[in-house]
Amino acid sequence: MNWLTALGFGEHSWGPALCEGAVMTLFVSGAGLAIGAALGSLVAWAKLSGARVAGAIGEGYAALFRGLPELLVVYFVYFGSSALLTATAHLLGVEGFVGVPAFAAGALAVGVISGSYQAEVFRGAFLAVAKGEIEAARAVGMGRWLMFRRIIAPQVLRYAIPGLGNLWQVALKDSSLISVTGLTELMRASQLASNATHKPFTYYVAGGALYLVLTAFSDRVFDFAEKRATRGMRREAT
Amino acid sequence: MSDANGYALTVSGLRKRFGSLEVLKGVSLNAREGDVISILGSSGSGKSTLLRCINLLETPDEGVVTVAGETILMRKTRDGRAVPADRSQVDRIRSELGMVFQNFNLWSHLTIIENLIEAPVHVQKRPRGECAEEAQALLAKVGIADKADYYPAHLSGGQQQRAAIARALAMRPKVMLFDEPTSALDPELVGEVLRVMRSLAEEGRTMLIVTHEMGFARDVSDRVVFLDQGLIEAEGPPAELFGDPKSDRFRQFIAKERA
Amino acid sequence: MMSFAFLWTTFLRLMAALQVTLSVWALSVFVGAFIGAGVTWMRISGVKPIEWAARAYVFVFRGAPLLVQLFVVYYGLSSFPLVRGSVFWPFLRDAFNCATLSCALCTAAYQSEIFRGALSGVPPGQVEAARACGMSSFLLFRRVILPIALRQALPAYSTEVISMVKATALVSLVTLWDVMSVALKIRNDTLVTYTPLLVAGAIYFVLNYVIARIFLLIEYWLSPHLRARAT
Repeated sequence: MNWLTALGFGEHSWGPALCEGAVMTLFVSGAGLAIGAALGSLVAWAKLSGARVAGAIGEGYAALFRGLPELLVVYFVYFGSSALLTATAHLLGVEGFVGVPAFAAGALAVGVISGSYQAEVFRGAFLAVAKGEIEAARAVGMGRWLMFRRIIAPQVLRYAIPGLGNLWQVALKDSSLISVTGLTELMRASQLASNATHKPFTYYVAGGALYLVLTAFSDRVFDFAEKRATRGMRREAT
Repeated sequence: MSDANGYALTVSGLRKRFGSLEVLKGVSLNAREGDVISILGSSGSGKSTLLRCINLLETPDEGVVTVAGETILMRKTRDGRAVPADRSQVDRIRSELGMVFQNFNLWSHLTIIENLIEAPVHVQKRPRGECAEEAQALLAKVGIADKADYYPAHLSGGQQQRAAIARALAMRPKVMLFDEPTSALDPELVGEVLRVMRSLAEEGRTMLIVTHEMGFARDVSDRVVFLDQGLIEAEGPPAELFGDPKSDRFRQFIAKERA
Repeated sequence: MMSFAFLWTTFLRLMAALQVTLSVWALSVFVGAFIGAGVTWMRISGVKPIEWAARAYVFVFRGAPLLVQLFVVYYGLSSFPLVRGSVFWPFLRDAFNCATLSCALCTAAYQSEIFRGALSGVPPGQVEAARACGMSSFLLFRRVILPIALRQALPAYSTEVISMVKATALVSLVTLWDVMSVALKIRNDTLVTYTPLLVAGAIYFVLNYVIARIFLLIEYWLSPHLRARAT
């Protein structure tokens, strides 16, 4: 069986498995990014609000996860969350070992790491929003929630897109580490294929190539998003 | 210091185009030793380009540049572009020309004194001690002797430009080129730089100055050259040119600048 | 379980493994710097096919996860009889060499982009002034471009160097006994989850903190021209 058949979609081929792995990678990275966004905006808000304790906690969280290897965090979250869940289950009277699904643990791990970087992105994006626009909103009588929803959040998002694009790429790559939990994302799928066929080069290169496809595609999407979001901000070429 | 005719610098038939735009359409200029020549013109007239062609920061498409009797050798590439034939000759001639830029362009990671001795030590290969002494004297001459160990970012615009002039002087240049030396300065700092330039002129240095400062051009130059759309439209001693401008366009130019 | 004795032996065992982590890290950053400089040189060469090759290199080695790259080099290359019979085999059969090579290739891509960014950040006016003084290209590079670019590259370079420390944890997955794999072994042997991972985490954290401080010191030392003048 030559490599073309091996990667294709025939009966004995691993094409479908790799593609499914890629889809799983997208999902788990997306979930991770979302968790990271939630954590990151929380930390950014804590730092921006000026509250000393909250700010310090946020700062500590960011410093912690920027100093730890991603693989360590994956193991820690995976083993740790299972242990935590089991302990909680025991409290509630459930016997035996309760494992956290690999997807959840993986997404959480990626999210917790991503969040520490996203905090900086959101903080910078918020600071970039012109103070004047916020003052204008206040002057017009907008309530705080309305102002946040209609003025602040859209603008912060707009400024955050380049940084988020970068962090998305990072999340995609970090997700490959989730393979150690057994989740069949792209890396694990490549591993399984390579072990089954004893053709490691073929399948790891194929996996790598698929990651590159995801990367290139993401680049395009974020470029497009940035162009659309900065529609009013750039001067039109005369 | 000069060629057979006593010219420190000659430029003949300089042409330069950027893309489809021809900025210099055949400019010729001579400077004797000690001449102070002011080059005037509106933006787009090609005056900066003319200066930059002399030390080959821009490469002229046609024309000959001769500095102190030495002609810069040029050759044509396969696709017809003109390039210098000998890079080391260009470097050597550049080290004999001193250039002062509109934006000073001092090296930000070096102190002022280090800026001054950098080229003399590394390009002209002169002994460090001698260069340092001379540099200190030059700083005193331009009036910033106490700023020797400061970094450029800590100096005002006028001080930086005077340092830049000292840096050019440190090379012991045969001809000095000034590219709009005061255009980037706040008005109150212009005077201190013009004063230094005036004293250099009075010393008998050969200077080519692209400037908007009419008063300076009139009072200090030996000759004024008015460039318009890539050609020399008017040329002569300032008294003659300003007193009785024969060219209509030059008259309009002075009127506009005065306003 | 959380006895001090256990904590202490865990710490000692992990510190012993630190040598492997640091070796992989230092070698890959060092070698990667040279490869990266070469890639940067190709990238700004002005020759289109060479530039394109450099861009492709950066795209591949920054776009694919390091884990994939590690596996391709360690498991993938060794599966070819051609490689096994070649002159490179004595080098490539060793896990340490494979891992370091793979890490070096990866960091080279990131470093090359850092170098490229730093070079383009050198103010063109200062380059012109150097040329106007008659500096040759080599002198110009050595005395003006390199010093300025180096200082501009420091913050990003520090981040990359620390990234590489964290990346070395992956070599535990290609049979090297670094801090990460020893921590996991302790966990597997003793069934104690938290302690080995926490101690390993602490070691990595302190290491990264020290590196970050050292870079800050270097930045401070190299940039008196950017600070306010002490009167």
